[in-house]
Amino acid sequence: MAKSKLPINNCIRELRETNQQMTQQALAERIGVTRQTVNAIEAGKYSPSLEVAFRIASVFELPLEQVFKYRP
Amino acid sequence: MDTGFEEKSAWIQLIALIVVLGGYFFVALQMHTGGVHDIRAYVPVFAVSVILLVIVMVFGHIAAVAMTRNDDRDERDNVIAWRSEYLSSWVVAVGVLAAITAMVFGINTVLVAHGLLLSLLASELLSSSLKIIFYRHGF
Repeated sequence: MAKSKLPINNCIRELRETNQQMTQQALAERIGVTRQTVNAIEAGKYSPSLEVAFRIASVFELPLEQVFKYRP
Repeated sequence: MDTGFEEKSAWIQLIALIVVLGGYFFVALQMHTGGVHDIRAYVPVFAVSVILLVIVMVFGHIAAVAMTRNDDRDERDNVIAWRSEYLSSWVVAVGVLAAITAMVFGINTVLVAHGLLLSLLASELLSSSLKIIFYRHGF
């Protein structure tokens, strides 16, 4: 789980690596954002909208709470 | 530097404003201290500065497009743009109120006009700087 400056952590990087080394660009194209935004989400510099969060979870076929964790 | 088009655009705007309008204010200050107190004398210098600013911005953005693989705008760009504009818009409001106050007290129109212009420039500089900070460090 990537360390985050924000209260929402995620494990997108690990999920990409276990999904045939999916690139940030490939994930970005599937969820409709730029590669820089995927990078910012992974680095904990940006919390995506609920819609994008659901799209990410959908790509990895996981429930939202397995991809994102809220740590207040 | 791994940046998207919008971040490059913020850098271009910041540098262009500092160089071109900074240059204008330097010349205007020289004129004012040299005894030029008629606002009309500043108009040609300002017009040249605006034309230069447009040219620098256009060529800067053409270069940014050429250097960026994907110039799409997404939700993060929209949030950053909205947040930086929201946090910098008060500077113009302060400038307008200061200009009105200055007019009430009969301050020279050259100073009032340049005060307004300075507040607009400061607001844009703050907005571009905030965009860059948000892109580099998150928010």
